[in-house]
Amino acid sequence: MKLILAILLGKLILFLTRNFKIGGGSAAPGLYALSIEPDLVAKLAAKIPKNVVITGTNGKTTTAKMLAHFAKETGLKVIRNHTGSNLERGIASAFIQNLRLHPKGVKLNHDIGIWELDEAAFNAVAPKLQPDIVVFLNVFRDQLDRYGEIDTVIKNWYQALKKLSSETAVLVNGDDANILKLAACFRGKVQTFGVQNCKIAGEEIERQKEQENLDFEAKNVKTSGLTGSLFQLTINNELLTVNLPLPGIYHIYDFLAAFTTGTILNIDPDKMVLSLKTYSPAFGRVEKFHLNPTFHRTPTSEVEYMGYIFLIKNPAGATQVFKTIAPNIKPGDRILLALNDNIADGTDVSWIWDANFESLRNSSNLSERAQSRDYTIITSGIRANDLALRLKYANFNPKEIVVEPDLKQALKQAGVGLKGKLFILPTYTAMLKLQSILTKASIKKHYWEEDN
Amino acid sequence: MKLVIGYLYGDLMNIYGDTGNIIALKKRAEWRGIKVIIKMFTIGNEMKKGMADIYFFGGGQDQAQELVARDLVVSGKGKVIKSEVERGVPLLSVCGGYQLLGDYYKPHKGPKLPGVGLFPAYTVASHDRMIGNIIIESMFGKLIGFENHSGKTYLKKGALPLGMIVKGFGNGGTVQTEGCIYKNAVGTYMHGSLLPKNPKLADWLLKKALEVKYGKELELKQLDDTLELQAHYKAIQKFG
Repeated sequence: MKLILAILLGKLILFLTRNFKIGGGSAAPGLYALSIEPDLVAKLAAKIPKNVVITGTNGKTTTAKMLAHFAKETGLKVIRNHTGSNLERGIASAFIQNLRLHPKGVKLNHDIGIWELDEAAFNAVAPKLQPDIVVFLNVFRDQLDRYGEIDTVIKNWYQALKKLSSETAVLVNGDDANILKLAACFRGKVQTFGVQNCKIAGEEIERQKEQENLDFEAKNVKTSGLTGSLFQLTINNELLTVNLPLPGIYHIYDFLAAFTTGTILNIDPDKMVLSLKTYSPAFGRVEKFHLNPTFHRTPTSEVEYMGYIFLIKNPAGATQVFKTIAPNIKPGDRILLALNDNIADGTDVSWIWDANFESLRNSSNLSERAQSRDYTIITSGIRANDLALRLKYANFNPKEIVVEPDLKQALKQAGVGLKGKLFILPTYTAMLKLQSILTKASIKKHYWEEDN
Repeated sequence: MKLVIGYLYGDLMNIYGDTGNIIALKKRAEWRGIKVIIKMFTIGNEMKKGMADIYFFGGGQDQAQELVARDLVVSGKGKVIKSEVERGVPLLSVCGGYQLLGDYYKPHKGPKLPGVGLFPAYTVASHDRMIGNIIIESMFGKLIGFENHSGKTYLKKGALPLGMIVKGFGNGGTVQTEGCIYKNAVGTYMHGSLLPKNPKLADWLLKKALEVKYGKELELKQLDDTLELQAHYKAIQKFG
C-alpha cells in the first residue's frame, strides 16, 4: 500500500513539473516517492527480468544509451534513467514515469533495466537493483567537492562488490589500473574490455605498446575526424569490423562496455554493430544540430551552420574532448565554452587547471587565426572569467577571447558572422540551460521528449 | 635570467587543480623573458640545496600523504626544504603540503604524522568538512580561492597567519585566521588554483626567487593583468 501511495505521489509531482515547465521531472518525483517508500527501487527492480548497472566517472550516459539502442533494435523493452539523473531518486523517477497502476497492483512489462549510477551512489543503490551485470567504466577525478578522493571511491566499490552475488557478471575496463584492482576482490567471474595499445594513466588515455590480456579488445583502431572511428574486434572467434559514429578513443570504451554487456545478454553481435548506423548520441554528448540562421541573425546567408555540443565536466573528460576536436577545428570555426559552478557541476572550478586546455590550442589553424582580428573563442557561464583566464595561461591570445557570462547572449554572439562550425563545450548545468535556449528557439526538442 | 621551479611530490600531491599554480608561475616568468625549468622532486630522487629557486607543494590523497610524510624524513628532503626557506627561498604550499610542513598532522586513527617543522603550526583531523569559496584579507590584498579540507590547523604563539578570513573557514579553529607565512614561505588552504586569480601573490613569489638567486633587489616588469583582475574581482563580488 505504501508503494502505491508513493507512486501516486510521484506521478502527481511528475505531472505538475511537466505541466508548469519546472523541469523534466527526472529527479523530484522519485525524491518525494522515496520519502514515503524507501524500498521503492528494490521492490520495483525485482519485477524486471534483467538489470544492468553502469558506473564510472565518464561515459555512463553514452554507454547506457548505446546498450539501450542495441537492446531495442532486437525488440527488447528497456527501462532506464535516461536524463543523466543517476542518483537513487533518478531511478525511482524512471520507474514512476514508466509503470502503470492497475487495480491488481503495479504493472511493468520491461525486459531489461539499464541503470547508470553515480560513482558515489553505487554502494547504496546497486544492491537494491540486484543487478545481473555490473559495468565499471573508469575512475577519474570528478567533482571532488562532492565525492572526496579516487581512493575513497575505489574503497567503496570494493565493499559493494563483496556484497554482490557471485552470479553477477562483472565487466571492467582492463586499461584502467585502478578499476582492474577491483577484479581481485570479486568472488565471481570478471571480464575485461579495452583498446589495443592504450592505457588510462592519470587523467589521460595514453598510447602504450604493451602485451595486454583483454577479453574484449578493440584492435587496429583508425580515427577519422569528427565522424568517428573504425576498428576490429574478435568475438566467438569471428572478426567484426566496427564503424563507430562517435569520435575519440574515449567513445570506443563506451562502445565496448555496451557491446560486451550486449553479448552477455545474448544480443547478436552482428546486429549490434549494424545498428550503430541508426544510433543517435545522448544529449550533449557529441550532439550535432543545425544552427538556425534567423536565430543567429546572419543576414548574409541562408546556409544552416553545424553546431556540435560536447559536455565537459571533469579534467579527464574535457581533455579527451579537446584532443578529439582540436585537429578538426578549421579557419572560420568557433568555440563556445561555458563553465558553471552549481552543485551538479561541482562548486569547485579548480578542475579547469587540471584539464589540458593547451591541447585545444594545438591546432595549427587556430594559430593562423590568431593573426586575424576575428575572435575564436567565447567563454560563458557563471565562471566565464575563470575560463578566460585558463585559456590565457594555455597560450591563447587574450584578444581572441570574448567573455560573455550570459549563455543566450554568448550563443547569439557566436553566431554573428559565423563562417564555419560552432563547437559548444558546456558543463552540466550550462548544457541544460543551452538545451532550454535551443528548445525555445525551436532548434531542439526538450530533452525529456527525446527518445530514450 | 632563469628560474627552476621545484615541484615537490608533483606525481603524488597534485589534486584539486593545484597544478595551476605551477602554470601561473611559469607563464608569468616567461612573459617577462625569464626562462623556466620545472623540476620534480619525489620519492626515489635526490634533492639538495640550490637545486631549485622556488618550491611548490600541493595536496594529495590520504594514502599518498602518508607516503610523502615518511619520505620527507627518510630522504632528508624535509631538512633541505627548511634550510632553503631559512635562506629566503620562496615556497608555496597548499592544503596537504601546508599540513606536512607544520609540526605534525594528527589523523583520526593511528599515530601522528611528523611534519617538517617549518611553519609553527600543527593540524588535527576533524569531522567537519570545510568546503567552499574562501576570501581572506592579507598583505597581498584580498585573496580568493576554494577550500576543501577537514583538518584544522592551529598556529602556535608567534606564528604569522597568511591572512584573516573574510569568508570561509581557513585554518578552521575558533580564530579567524587562514594559512601561515614564515620568511618567504606561504602555507594555505586555498585552491582555485590560487595563483592565477591572485597575481600579486604570484609575482611576490617570483620576485623573492629572483632576488635570492641573483643577490640583488629588483622590480618585475608590469604585465597586462586585465583577465586576472576581472576573474579576481568577479569572484570576490560573487562570494564576498
